[in-house]
Amino acid sequence: MQIEHDKVSGQDTTGHEWDGIKELNTPIPRVVTWSYQLTILFSICYWVLYPAWPYVTDFTRGLTGYSSREEVIDILQSSSNEREVSIATLFSLPIDELAENTAIRKQYETSASVLFADNCGACHGADLEGQTKFPNLKDEAWLWSDLPEEIEATILYGINSGHDEERYAEMTAFGRDEILTKEEISELVAYVQSISGQPHDEALLASGTELFEENCSGCHGDGGEGGLESGAPILTDNFWIYGGDAQTLSDTIWHGRKGVMPSWENRLSKADIRKLALYVYWQSHELEE
Amino acid sequence: MTKITENITALICSLLVLITGAIVVLYTSETGFLLHGWLMIFFSAWAVLTVVRRMNRPLEPKSLEYNDEVIKWGVLGCLFWGIIGFTVGDVLAWQLAYPDLNGDLPWTNFGRIRPIHTTAVIFGFAGNALMSTSFYVVQRTSRARLAGGYLGWLVFGGYNLFVLLAVTGYPLGITQGREYAEPEWYADILLLIVWLGYFWIYMRTLARRTEPHIYVANWYYLAFIVVIAMLHIVNNLVVPFGLEYTKSYSLFSGVQDAMTQWWYGHNAAGFFLTAGFLGMVYYFLPKAANRPIYSYRMSIVGFWGITFLYLWVGSHHLHYTALPDWVQILGMTMSVILIVPSWASVFNAILTLNGAWDKVRTDPAIRFMMVAVLFYGLTTFEGSFMAIKPVNSLSHYTDWTIGHVHAGALGWVAFITFGSMYKMVPWIWKRDGVYSIRLEAWHFWLALTGTFIYVGAMWNSGITQSLMWQTYDGEGNFLYSFMDSVDAMHGYYIARAIGGLLYLIGALIGAYNIYMTVQGPRKAPQQSNNLPVAAGE
Ligand code: HEC
Ligand code: HEC
Ligand code: HEM
Ligand code: HEM
Repeated sequence: MQIEHDKVSGQDTTGHEWDGIKELNTPIPRVVTWSYQLTILFSICYWVLYPAWPYVTDFTRGLTGYSSREEVIDILQSSSNEREVSIATLFSLPIDELAENTAIRKQYETSASVLFADNCGACHGADLEGQTKFPNLKDEAWLWSDLPEEIEATILYGINSGHDEERYAEMTAFGRDEILTKEEISELVAYVQSISGQPHDEALLASGTELFEENCSGCHGDGGEGGLESGAPILTDNFWIYGGDAQTLSDTIWHGRKGVMPSWENRLSKADIRKLALYVYWQSHELEE
Repeated sequence: MTKITENITALICSLLVLITGAIVVLYTSETGFLLHGWLMIFFSAWAVLTVVRRMNRPLEPKSLEYNDEVIKWGVLGCLFWGIIGFTVGDVLAWQLAYPDLNGDLPWTNFGRIRPIHTTAVIFGFAGNALMSTSFYVVQRTSRARLAGGYLGWLVFGGYNLFVLLAVTGYPLGITQGREYAEPEWYADILLLIVWLGYFWIYMRTLARRTEPHIYVANWYYLAFIVVIAMLHIVNNLVVPFGLEYTKSYSLFSGVQDAMTQWWYGHNAAGFFLTAGFLGMVYYFLPKAANRPIYSYRMSIVGFWGITFLYLWVGSHHLHYTALPDWVQILGMTMSVILIVPSWASVFNAILTLNGAWDKVRTDPAIRFMMVAVLFYGLTTFEGSFMAIKPVNSLSHYTDWTIGHVHAGALGWVAFITFGSMYKMVPWIWKRDGVYSIRLEAWHFWLALTGTFIYVGAMWNSGITQSLMWQTYDGEGNFLYSFMDSVDAMHGYYIARAIGGLLYLIGALIGAYNIYMTVQGPRKAPQQSNNLPVAAGE
């Protein structure tokens, strides 16, 4: 236990030793002391300027009286002017006129596409092409019409969403509710396949046609041509929400369907909803120069 | 403690766990809890049998050697959980690159296996490394045999049972949902008891020391043990839904709950992943390099700075939240000061190598330790920087945080562990040296490359994310959708997964090397001049 001189560092040891480990008595380098002073000084400046220390009932406010809440309010306030101009534009004309306005389209299409991808893409796809159970919004097949104001209403109130103004659309469960038998359903499947131009069983077609007129055309229109009042899709095209193969068609007719499109009235601002309605419309309508 | 009281304490503790397990098995209707009951029964029955068998043996004469047996098992536990943790980490990394790899099953879902990774690496790998090296270091630097005899085994066994309960619970959905403190109340109680035992052993061994002073490494280990005990208790104050259920509810709510969680969370990084490992540096680095510590005074300044400051800074995890501004700003300023003692420790360690730089070239273990210290410097610099509010508004919620975590975890925590293990394993198994220096070097380069790829990829993806999320037009509309930013991550996530794979391969080589070292020939017996003076009691 003795103090030694270390040649490499030119320092003495402290004289302690543990399992052969010794320690040098090197003084604390200036830079460490300075760094402490500098960082503490920095902190003190901060404490003087900003809220920092608690005391019994309150905390120090700092000379700036900074509050992150007020800061956010300020930022929102200052950008709200620009927003207001933009909102005013969006409500200056009826929506169907806005939809045909090239300048408006150029101004809003990009930011609306981000809005769509963030809010609607999970179900309808960021490219609007839909997926099983979620309709394609780019094709010509519409449940509730492609008029901009109708699209806007769909987004605002949703479909089967539980909102007071919701669009209500339900496909009856013909099999489960014992309205039709298994055989009748396979005849209807053949009929739906025939009107949508798919291969089908000719033998079942005759009775299928009749069954369709009795049970289905009320909602789906004569010959499955569709009608926009009931939200029932056109069955004569090749666009399907659930699927056009025999198994899926038979499941649809047996169990019925009731897709849900959420209401966005309380989630997005009126301006954002209008932009989205315009965007959906624009994606299926070419720009007319 | 005499042998008799030792045996009886051990028996009572094991029986307590056994009875608890039996009660759980009898009364619970939850599958997960049932499994845990059986695990408790299985482990404690084994412990009871071992104790009883030993009781029948004639009393052995008091040992005049250090107690290294528990340490050997600690090394094994460290490697075992390390391999599991790294593997699961890499699976996670691939899942993030290709989400379909989540297996479409609840049990293999990202959200459920992520805590398996964090628990296996932090508590399994790092925890066993800390426990085993601390037992090694406290004995040598105190020249005293480990106190408590059997108790060491119970601490080790109980601790690993805790880790096992934790990681088997997550896939079944058993979690408190508090990061790094996910295990439920019953596992927490087990850990508490184990931890108090650990503390007792450590204090008793120090009390028996024959050296006049307590070495720095022990200050750090002790700070780690004491602070973790305190954090663990406060953060886990919960009310169980019922004793036959795993679920519990936190005693705190709202912003107090969040602050408690991050006061814990940051000090888990500060005392589990920092203080304990600094203890490791302060013993294994000078010992391996055969150089004196650069400055005793810097050790003091570093230690008290770190210990004092860390406890203030948890709030930097909650910047721009509902947490009051003053708490955020206080935490931020303390985090900035924290860089000084952190870097003082870095310099103290690096300058200790003065006069031994040739060994950095020839000895991969020392190279591991040196690089570890450099990564520690990098991580703490980055940490203090990220704690500044405007910087945090950029880094928070992004992969930058993940990059920071793994610069610390891979580069610092795991590197210092590997370096120390390569030294300690031949010492405790009394071998001439590591089986293969070449393999050791391979491990080093694989691990280093893996770390660089991982951290580099995360810095890039983090900054990219943050810039994409903060790009608005004049009206405040986003210019990128969230999905755009997810798409942009894909390449980085693949790179990260490859980096992780290299790291894992390195660790497997390391485990093989250590296995072969243990299998290798014993060193010729030598007269050692370091024997415990107060061996036994
Ligand atoms: C949770 C999934 C989901 C989300 C999110 C969603 N939708 Fe829908 N949407 C649907 C479903 C399902 C339907 C079809 C309902 C039906 O089958 O009757 C639908 C129908 C529609 C229709 C009617 C199409 C027609 O042919 O008349 C429009 C328009 C529409 N969605 C627009 C949007 C917009 C715009 C958003 C984003 C704000 C959005 N949707 C978000 C599920 C969703
Ligand atoms: C009460 C009105 C109503 C009646 C009656 C009705 N449907 Fe429907 N049908 C709907 C609605 C609404 C939908 C869309 C449901 C949805 O998208 O969730 C639908 C959807 C379908 C679809 C799915 C189309 C696709 O794109 O996947 C098929 C097929 C279908 N109906 C066939 C029939 C047949 C066959 C009958 C007669 C047995 C029938 N429907 C009777 C309202 C009706
Ligand atoms: C092969 C090596 C490793 C790989 C591939 C890996 C991979 C990962 C991945 C993919 C995540 C999830 C990131 C996210 O959610 O975005 C993660 C999280 C984490 N890992 Fe690792 N990891 C490795 C090693 C380690 C080690 C050795 C440690 C600690 C000693 C560690 C500690 C953590 C922690 C603490 C988190 C949570 C981070 C947070 O929530 O911010 N990892 N790791
Ligand atoms: C001076 C020292 C350090 C400071 C000031 C610091 C600061 C920070 C900051 C500001 C964050 C980001 C918080 C957020 O935005 O959510 C963070 C995250 C983290 N740091 Fe550090 N850090 C330091 C050292 C370390 C070290 C050495 C490790 C050890 C591996 C570490 C582990 C972590 C972990 C695991 C997280 C992620 C927590 C989570 O979100 O899950 N830190 N740190």
